[in-house]
Order: sequence, then C-alpha cells, then structure tokens
Amino acid sequence: MQNNKEVILKVEHLCQYFKMGPTYELKAVDDFNIELGKGEVFGLVGESGCGKTTTGRTIIKLYDATSGNVYYKGQRIVAGIRSYKDKIKSEKKRVEDEIEKLREEEKLGDSGAKEKIKTLKHELSKEIAAQKENIKLAKIDQKKCDKIYSAKLVSQLKAELKEKREQTSNQEEIEKLEKDYALKIQIAKKERLVNEIQMIFQDPIASLDPRMTVREIIAEGLIIKGIKDKEYIDERVCEALEKVGLVREHANRYPHEFSGGQRQRIGVARSVIMNPSVIIADEPVSALDVSIQAQVINLLNEVRNELGLTIMFIAHDLSVIKYFSDRIGVMYFGKLVELATSDELFAHPLHPYTRSLLSAIPLPDPVYEKKRKRIVYNPIAEHDYSKEQPSMREITEGHFIMCNTEEFNKYKKQLEAEKK
Amino acid sequence: MEKKLIVKDLRISFKTVNGKVQAVRGISFDLNKGETLAIVGESGSGKSVTSRAILGILAGNAIVEGGEIIYDGKDLLKISEDDFHSIRGDKIAMIFQDPLSSLNPIMRIGQQLTEAMLLKNRANKSESKRKFKLSMELLLNNMNAATAQEGHDKAVINAKRIKDFQDFEYVHIEHEQKYNAAYSEAQNSLEDINNLLFEIEKNAVKDIIKSCAEITQEASRVFNRFVVEEGKTDLKEKINVLKNAAKDAKKLKNNSGCVEILKDIKVILDQAVARPKPNFFSLGYYLKFVNPEIPATEDTEEINRMTRKLLDEKFMLEFISEAQKGIQHSFDVSIENKKKAIEVLKDKRSSFEHIVQPMKFYMQVAREMTIAVEKGINRLELIKDSNSYVFGSNLRSAINYYYVRMRKNIAEASRFKKQTEKHNKLTAKGKTPDWTIVPADIIDLDDARDNILKIIDNLIAHNEQKILNEGNFDSYQGTIDLIDFFKEKASGSVYTVTPKMAKQTAIKLMEEVGIPEPRKRYKQYPFEFSGGMRQRIVIAIALAANPDILICDEPTTALDVTIQSQILELINNLKIERKLSVIFITHDLGVVANMADRIAVMYAGKIVEYGTAMEVFYGPRHPYTWALLSSMPDLDTKEKLEAIPGTPPNMIYPPKGDAFAQRNKYALNVDFEEEPPMFKITDTHYAATWLLHPDAPKLDIPKVITDRIARMKERGDMDDAKQ
Repeated sequence: MQNNKEVILKVEHLCQYFKMGPTYELKAVDDFNIELGKGEVFGLVGESGCGKTTTGRTIIKLYDATSGNVYYKGQRIVAGIRSYKDKIKSEKKRVEDEIEKLREEEKLGDSGAKEKIKTLKHELSKEIAAQKENIKLAKIDQKKCDKIYSAKLVSQLKAELKEKREQTSNQEEIEKLEKDYALKIQIAKKERLVNEIQMIFQDPIASLDPRMTVREIIAEGLIIKGIKDKEYIDERVCEALEKVGLVREHANRYPHEFSGGQRQRIGVARSVIMNPSVIIADEPVSALDVSIQAQVINLLNEVRNELGLTIMFIAHDLSVIKYFSDRIGVMYFGKLVELATSDELFAHPLHPYTRSLLSAIPLPDPVYEKKRKRIVYNPIAEHDYSKEQPSMREITEGHFIMCNTEEFNKYKKQLEAEKK
Repeated sequence: MEKKLIVKDLRISFKTVNGKVQAVRGISFDLNKGETLAIVGESGSGKSVTSRAILGILAGNAIVEGGEIIYDGKDLLKISEDDFHSIRGDKIAMIFQDPLSSLNPIMRIGQQLTEAMLLKNRANKSESKRKFKLSMELLLNNMNAATAQEGHDKAVINAKRIKDFQDFEYVHIEHEQKYNAAYSEAQNSLEDINNLLFEIEKNAVKDIIKSCAEITQEASRVFNRFVVEEGKTDLKEKINVLKNAAKDAKKLKNNSGCVEILKDIKVILDQAVARPKPNFFSLGYYLKFVNPEIPATEDTEEINRMTRKLLDEKFMLEFISEAQKGIQHSFDVSIENKKKAIEVLKDKRSSFEHIVQPMKFYMQVAREMTIAVEKGINRLELIKDSNSYVFGSNLRSAINYYYVRMRKNIAEASRFKKQTEKHNKLTAKGKTPDWTIVPADIIDLDDARDNILKIIDNLIAHNEQKILNEGNFDSYQGTIDLIDFFKEKASGSVYTVTPKMAKQTAIKLMEEVGIPEPRKRYKQYPFEFSGGMRQRIVIAIALAANPDILICDEPTTALDVTIQSQILELINNLKIERKLSVIFITHDLGVVANMADRIAVMYAGKIVEYGTAMEVFYGPRHPYTWALLSSMPDLDTKEKLEAIPGTPPNMIYPPKGDAFAQRNKYALNVDFEEEPPMFKITDTHYAATWLLHPDAPKLDIPKVITDRIARMKERGDMDDAKQ
C-alpha cells in the first residue's frame, strides 16, 4: 500500500452480519481490510447486493459492526465484539475437550493430570478475562469515541487558554480571550470525530427532504453540531453552495425546483459544509443522465483537489471508477477479491471475477461491442478451496488478490506471461 | 427491407398551468423489420413521450398536434381505443424503465404473467365471433347484389352456401381445437416423463412408484383423446397397453420396473406426436355432410387427400367462384363511391380555408363529408381502411379543437392582461424580470386550421391512390384472403386459453428469459426477486403476447454492469430468434453501441442526428452528439470530462433557432436566429446543424472524440491482427 502517505482511515477485519431468521446469518461484509492514504480516491466495485454500500455505511457507523475495527486518524471509531466472543467460545471448547481427555487419563492412573487440569483452567480464566477486557474497550470505543475525542479537544483548548492567559496581564484582553475560548470550547464539546467522515447518498431525489429548503438541508449538520449564530451559518451555507457551483439565491428554494444534477450538488454541499476529510460517495452518479454525470464527477474532482479530501467512491459503473479512482477494490459477496491501482487492475486483472466484470463494460464503439464476449464467472467451477482456504496475498507491489497457494502460483505465471 | 413502423412529423404538447410544453416537435423516423433503432438523449428530450405515443398511453393532458404513426397500414394516432386494444401489448409491447414500479407487489409472478393472456383471450373470443358473423352477412349481401338479375332462387342458393360454410367451419374448428389441446397435453406429459426420468436418475424422487402410476394414467388418458381425435384404430391397442402399464405400476414393488414402463410410454407418445397433422378444414366438411364418423384409415395423408378432393368437388370451387363475384361487386361499388367522395371532399374543402361561420355550420359540413366518405369504404377489405374509418371523428375533433380557442375565458384573459401590464411596467423602468408571461391560450389558430385541411387532403390523396390501383385488384386472391380471414376469426371465437395452458406458456417464457427453476419461481412474489430477475420478468410479460415491435424504455439504467450485460444479451438473442423490431431508448451511449443498428439522437423534442451506429460513433457531426460522447469517460480517459453546461431548455418557451445553441460552444450566429434543416451526409446519415452548410466555417471534430475514434480504430486493428 502507499506507505509514503499518512494513513487516514484504516479498516481491519470488518464484518457485518445480518440476522435472517433464527439460525441463518447473511454475511454482507466479511473480513474487509483496507488502508486509505490522505488525499486518495479508493473505488469500490461489485454487483448490486455484494455489500459495497453496507461497507460504506458500517464505516460511517450507520450500522453497528459485527466485528472488526475502523481507525480514523489513529482513533478507533468502529469496534465490533463478535470476534472476541467467538474467541472465548472456541477457547472454552478447546479447554473442555482437553480436560475431558485428561480426566480419562487420570482414571487410568496418570497422577500429573490433575495438575495439568488446574493450569489449563487457570489459563482459560486468564484468556477469558483478557477477551472480556477487549470487549469492554471495544464497547467504550464504539459508543464514546466521539466523546473521547471532544474531551481531548476541550482539554487541549483549555490548556491553550491557560497558556495565553499567563502571557498577558491586560484585563480586557483576558476577558476577550475568555469569551473567544468559551465559544470555541462550546463548539469543541459538540465536535464529533465521525462528523469528519461524510457520506453522499445514491439517490439525489430520495435523500433530500422535500419539505426543507436548501438552506435548512445544508445547515442541518451545523445546527445539530450546536452552532446558533445565524449569520455564521448563512455565510457557511453560501460558501458551500458556491463551492459546488450553485448560487446564493438557490438557498431559499426547495429540492423539487432543481434538476437531478443540481440536487446531487446539494448533496455534495451538505457533506462538504462539515469540513470532512473523508467522503464516502455511495453511487453518486448512478441515477443521473450522462451529461449531468460528467458535471458531478468534475465537481467531485474539484472539491477533492481543493480540500484535499480522501474519497471512498462506491459505484458499479467501471468506466467512471477507472476515471476517478487511484486504487480499486473489487468486491464479491461480501469479500474483497482483488485490490490494485486502477491502471494495474484494468491492465492485468487476475481474479476470474474481475475479468468477468471487466468483460461486461459497454463501450461506445460498435465494432468492439459486436465482438465483445462476456465472461461468465462461476465460483464453484473456478475455485477449488477444499484443500486450502483462500486469503489475501500480494502478487506484485500494491496488487492484492484473494487466492490460495495453488492459485497464487497460477496467477503469478499468468501475470508474467501477460507482461511479456 | 420491410418497414414495420413509420413515424412522420410527430408533434406532441402537454397542457400545463404555465402554458404549453412542446415535448416532441416534429420528428420522423422509420423502423425496419428485425432492426434495432436506438433513441438517445438527455432526460426531457422527448424520448419517452415518443415511445408512449406509439403505444397510445400518453398522459391525459397530452395534445397530439399532428403527425402520423403508421403501423400495419393504420395510423396509430387516429384509430379508436377499441382497435388499439388489439395492437397494444399484442403487436407492440413495452419494457418499462423501473422493474420495481412496473410489477404489482401483491400479485404472484405467475398471475401477472398469465393475466394478460387470459384476459386477451376472453376479449378476442367475443370480438372474433362478432366479426365473423358480420363479414359473413356482408359477403352474402354482396353476393346477392352481384347476382340480382338472376332472381330470387339464386339468393336462396347463396344463403344456403353461406350457411353450409358456416356450419362445417365450426365443425372443423372444434375438431382442430380438440386436437391441438390434446397435442399440447401430450407434449406436456412427455415433458413430465422426461423430468421424472431425470429425477430418478439423480435419486431425487421419494415415491417413484406412485408418481409413475400417476403419470402413466395421465398419459393413457391424454393418449386416448389424442388418438380418437385423429381417428386411428391401430393405435387403440396401445391405449390398452398403457392402461395395463398403469395397473402394473401400481402393483410394482421395485423401482427398475417403473423406468421400463416410463420409457415405453415415451416411445408411444413420441410416435403419436410425430404423426402428420390432418387437414381439419376438409375433414370438417366430410364430418358434417358426408359421414359423422372419422374414416378408419391409418394413413393421415390418405385421409387428407380424400377429404380435400371431396370438398373441392362438392362445394369449394363453386363457393369460391360465387364469392368472387360478390367481392368484385363490393369493390366496384366502393370505387364508384370513392370517386363521388373525392368530389364532395374537394367541393367542401374550400369552406374550411377561411373559417368565418359558427361551429355548427362546419360540424354539419363535416357530417356530410363523413357520410360520403363512409359510403366509399369497401367493407369486405380485410385490413381496415383506417384513414376512411376515422375520418369523421378526426375531422370533428379538429374543428372542435379550433373552436376551443374561440371560447372566451374571462379569468384567463384578465390574468394575461394583468401580467402583460406588469411586464411592460417593469421593462419601462429598465428592469428585466426573471419571469415570462404565460400565454393566454395555447392553441395556434393557423396551425389548427392547417390540421383540418391536412386531414381532408390526406383522405383525398388516399382515395385517389386507391382508385389508381383499381386495375390491380385480384378478386380470386381477395376470396382466398377472405376465407383465411373467416378461418382465423372462427378459430378465434372457439379458441380458449385455460389457466393451465397459460401457465405452461408462462413457464416456457420464464425459461426463455433465463430464470432458473421457473416452476418454483412461478409462485413467488416480486419482492423475492433481485433487480435483474425482476427486469427479466418484465421482459417475459412483454413477450407473452409474441409482439412484432418491442419498445425498451431504459431497461438497464437501474441495473449494474453484469446484469445489464446479461439483459442486453437476452434482448439481442430474442430479437434474432423472434425477428423482433426493437426501439431502444437510453441515455447511455455505451449500451447503444452494443444494441443499435441505427441511432437517432434527440434534443429538445427534435432528432438532431440520425444514422447507422457506425456512422454516429465513428463520424458524429452534430455538436450535441459530440458533447454526449465526450461527457462520458471511457477506460482511457484521463483529461477533465467535458460536461455539457446548463440544462435542457424549458419547452414552454422553445428557444429561437437551434435549441442546443445556448449550451453549444461551437454555435454560430445563425444558430440563434434560424433553425437548421436536416443536412444529408450520406444516404443513411443526417444531421441538423448549420455547421454542415457549405458556407459555414470549417470546424473539426473536437480532439477528445477524434482521439477516442483513433483509439477505437487501433483496438479494432489489434483485434483483427490477433485473429
């Protein structure tokens, strides 16, 4: 991965399961790992229902993750507890089995067995205690990561204030400082870390409240944050509107008065106003006309360059993803199957699913289209995982693929042959 | 190539509170058999309105201002709603954009698939019966009129002939229906046997003996009917074999015997299904007038030959020669009346040139003209002379439309007055208001009068054409066609689609569109299907009536790449298999490249470029096509995308000159003044832009597009080299 860059968002073993009936669980996202560098655009592709959107929503805490961690700027913001619970369960079972064996040995007359059982039990209780501690920490982080962060901010501000106070002796200045910092602290108290990750939703029509004016829609985030200064809010709203290519006058209109592209611009403005550093764009252009798609993509590009945003771009249109992203991850049924820079992925797709996906892209070229053959992906026929389970392996620098050893060697040969 | 659909100068507007929205402003195109025409454009360019006009499902506030949509010799804009019922869904089907909202959430999939089949069949039955009787009567009348001087006796003979024909026709149809039903049942039970054998092979059946007994019994029942209808005696033995087999199956203790029995049945049924079909038309005559028993010969060919000869000698040849006279008579009379009608039309036309009288007067004139025209209709013509049929109602509604403008609307007039005053005041102060005056009325009088005149002129031209073709009339061919028509209508009036048959068809369709386990899926609800599967169901429903023309309104916009490519492949395959003509509406040019033979690019209600797929993609000429092509990234795009600035114009106030001029960076001065005509580039490629005028400055295609075309050519060469 891009080691030279600061990692801003780190996702570790993220899993999101949904309960479907008493026994069956749907694994929407299963063991998802990614590190996003600052200013990077990461594209996530896959067919509908493969868990792209769920991944985005879990990262932004719209769902409670089943297990796995998400770190934002080093602070854990998402923490699931399933993996620890599973560990406790498996550990208990293992120890119980061993104890069973030892008991039988004891009956046969092994004197040392009793001692062993004791140590085993001791180890188990230790292990359980450790996992329980983990769970406790995870629960705290999951629930209170924002508060921890704001407390940190507040204490920082207080320290600053103290420093500055000591520097001056002028009573008036001190009063002014205190007033300033009181406001800052008030904002900081409501500062939420997760606010820095914002989402742009797929459907520009359904995601805007028809009964709110554009000003109210865009300012909602600021108001929830606790800002009461109306002039300040208006100023910020206008700024955001201008940033996305709308004008001040639009602030008083209702969403239905806008075209599809303009509505999506409002969606972008709504997320930009919170000063985010990461934006999760969930299919922002899928519902738009071609010409408007281009407008929105250009807008996202401008905003990204201007604000230095990191973007996680979820889409199923591969031409758009290729154009817009630095790195691309391909998802299939909740699992990331291939991850590479966009040029590398399109030049040397290795996983059969990626190949089938790339073979389905329609291009505006009738000659090519008449010849194009779609590759059908059938996981049962393609892979034989009976001997060894697949895992994510790095095949060339920055190019990861989900495979087992046998497949890894096959892909490597394939890659070498292609590069020649 | 055969032209399936012709659209000529179609103009459609919508009445709204703010004025008249001109959604489609004079578009013309045609659709050949087995061809895909893609209509491309932004939303709001009038693509969907065009397709809805073809299907006759425009919204209530739509005004069809002019134009023709000709399908099968009929103008779809002018035929009555009743006639449209037999076209919509049956001949022209549509796949709607959103599979979520075009399926009924509380009906099972199977019900939705079979609903139309059952309803259509019921409607078709009564309609066929009525038409059959009516045309029989007409024929009799004409036959009598043709032989009027031969006296009363002749008329009696004629009446008897017609009666005989009717009688044995019904016998024929009845037998044929029974045969067909038995035939399809035999095929079904063959399928059942195959399925059971397959399941036995896979050890998937629990109670083989029971199901074997059931199937054997069913097969023997079906076979019994099948054989009796065909009138074979030798096969009757085999029924006994089957019956015994059914009994044996019940007695069986182990499974291997079952497989043997099933295979035996399969052989017998296969033989029966493979036999040639008897000629039921002649057999009907034989059964009715010669012998009510089916002849006891084994050879079907033999029966066919015998009955055919009998029919020809005793009845058919005479009947045809008599009917021929009647048809000729009817034709001659209609030509005479047409000539008279033309005189009337030409005479009265002048009164519409300057409309000065009250409406009542013109309605009276229209009535007189209608009577004259309707006299000239040859009612025995099988394909309806739709122009003449709808002339009366058309003319009256056009006159009515003209006079709507004349009615005083006080509130509207005062509003208009106030608004104009306000506007004038503002402009006098030197301000430019950001609103425009909503016009007081939405009807252009000159236009409305032209419409009236056009209807009359069209009919005159139509009748003159018919008179010109007078010499080509072949009364023998006419008679054969008429008899075929009778057969069709008679079978329509007897043919019943049972729910069971509809289910069979539905399951076959579901298989065809690639839905796995159709029998299980048949009972499910739409929410149990994924997006792609739902879209397939919508396609299956559209195909249920075996249409000629399929209109696809953005069928894949809501789907992702893999499913999209599956659906496109499916439509392409079906197009080849069923020789469908497809109108494909989309805004995605990538999709179009795969599907289209020809492409029409639409903007602001007009076609701006029209050509084959190769021409449009490799040599686009209109700036709007350039803009569309360069605004979508392909896999090699690196530079900034060239989005089209702004939005499509408000069609209440269509811009002067070229509608695209305001968003066009290549616009010339003339574009803001005058509308460009269609310039011809090749025989198949047209574009409406002043850039193609010989006096226009030479302008190259933008670099983004030339680059892309170069890349495409390179890729093509590379592919060729590989092969």
